Amino acid sequence: MSKWLEEHLPKVVLAPSFIAVLVFVYGFIIWTAWVSLTRSRLLPKYEIEGFIQYERLFAAPRWDVAMNNLFIFGTLFIVISMVLGLMLAILLDQNIRTEGAIRTIYLYPMALSMIVTGTAWKWILNPGLGLEATVQGWGLENFTFNWLVDPDKAIYTVVLAAIWQSSGFVMALFLAGLRSVDTEIIRAAQVDGIPTWRVYSAIIIPSMAPIFLSAFIVLAHLAIKSFDLVIALTGGGPGFATDLPATYMYAMAFSRGDIGQAASSAMVMMGVVFTIVVPYLYSELRAKND
Amino acid sequence: MARAVSTRRKLIYTLAAWTAGLLIFFPILWTVLTSFKTEADAIADPPVFLFFDWTLENYAIVQERSDYMRFLWNSVIIAGGSTLLGVLIAVPAAWSMAFVPSRRTKDILLWMLSTKMLPAVGVLYPIYLIFIEMGLLDSRIGLTLVLMLINLPIIVWMLYTYFREIPAEILEAARMDGATLREEILYVLTPMAVPGIASTVLLNIILAWNEAFWTLNLTAAKAAPLTAFIASYSSPEGLFYAKLSAASTMAIAPILILGWFSQKQLVRGLTFGAVK
Repeated sequence: MSKWLEEHLPKVVLAPSFIAVLVFVYGFIIWTAWVSLTRSRLLPKYEIEGFIQYERLFAAPRWDVAMNNLFIFGTLFIVISMVLGLMLAILLDQNIRTEGAIRTIYLYPMALSMIVTGTAWKWILNPGLGLEATVQGWGLENFTFNWLVDPDKAIYTVVLAAIWQSSGFVMALFLAGLRSVDTEIIRAAQVDGIPTWRVYSAIIIPSMAPIFLSAFIVLAHLAIKSFDLVIALTGGGPGFATDLPATYMYAMAFSRGDIGQAASSAMVMMGVVFTIVVPYLYSELRAKND
Repeated sequence: MARAVSTRRKLIYTLAAWTAGLLIFFPILWTVLTSFKTEADAIADPPVFLFFDWTLENYAIVQERSDYMRFLWNSVIIAGGSTLLGVLIAVPAAWSMAFVPSRRTKDILLWMLSTKMLPAVGVLYPIYLIFIEMGLLDSRIGLTLVLMLINLPIIVWMLYTYFREIPAEILEAARMDGATLREEILYVLTPMAVPGIASTVLLNIILAWNEAFWTLNLTAAKAAPLTAFIASYSSPEGLFYAKLSAASTMAIAPILILGWFSQKQLVRGLTFGAVK
């Protein structure tokens, strides 16, 4: 091994990963950004025309629905997943038996493809088969649960399935946070006779702020990226009532033959992710340099 | 927070945790149960839980009708291939960042991880065009490459967190004893890195196995893995729950089993190293 190589080996071996990510992600994003400024329809064109695609995008009712859905879906999904995840984590933190097995079960939904588990959800949500039929079978004849086929409610079924998928994951994050809290402080509080719920609400949970932030970032980007969930559950329907930006983009690119629209919607999504992720990265980096 | 809790309360908490677990597990359990039902039982009103005529015919029909094994094989090749390739590229990178860190290492790592957060749709179309150009559409090689690339940041990150746990003193001791770089890597690092690499492989196989966005968009018939197969089965018209459940069960079984026997790695992997 030559002297030069010995000295520069760390950089040389890092280069393939670095370049792969750089080209693969940023190279193609630049392409998409470029095309979003053209009049591309079925085939990409490369003459820049300005912001017409964005004008069309923001005028499209379907995009409006998709962004609205993203807002509803994202808010409910993030808030409920966090609350449930925290509750499950506190429950698992009570020194219970067989914790390892329970943790695995809680994480299973995250480990399985939603395309696959979506089948079960379709059954559960199907009026006439799943929950509705079961509860009616118990004697509550008037019980109805037809959100899946109701254009105004269908998005909530996506929320439901997404929460199911992610709350175990959030639980695992919070559990790690609970375990890292200094036990001395807690013991001191207990000696002073402070009730358990106060210990949690005044000491433990506030000290987990960084974990809340990471959980938020992870959930937010999952929400924006959500694609398979919708495809598996509703296919974007009824009509396009459950369209999310990712499925909108997909429809434009592959069934409508409107690449320009697809590219501009992808760029808007990218912008949303960036506004969430960049401040986070910035704070991470600052924390490191302090 | 580990505290002493009385036995009775502990029992109540354990029961509550298992009840929640059962609720969470129910959709999965239901899929497995439905796969053993006849189509009539699968859509019975009110639903039947355990007392139905158990049958294996769905499995036979799914295999016979749609050549299930081919999709399974595609999944194995694509998930395995992309993982192997990714680990090969990522191990040196993670090694370099963990043991020879520079001032920029943390930045590079965070930047790499941040790209994983970007929506894949932003890069879908150019890749689609390149695939057409190069004849990679609906090919195993193409999909293997793409899955390797999208999961590369995660692989690097996971390996890095594992490598960081290897005490640097051991390396120093080896160097003091006159070990060359090659010997150091071969005899000191590798044995200690194997568990970390193994869990990274497990995580990535799961991620690649479940990948649906790229498989749905870049494959048609030839190279389609199980996720694409199941998506094609579950069109709203003519939804055959029992057969679809049989196909789904076969698709998730490897992960359910793998996950159970490597609980710790599964938890750590899915939380990207946050939970050890």
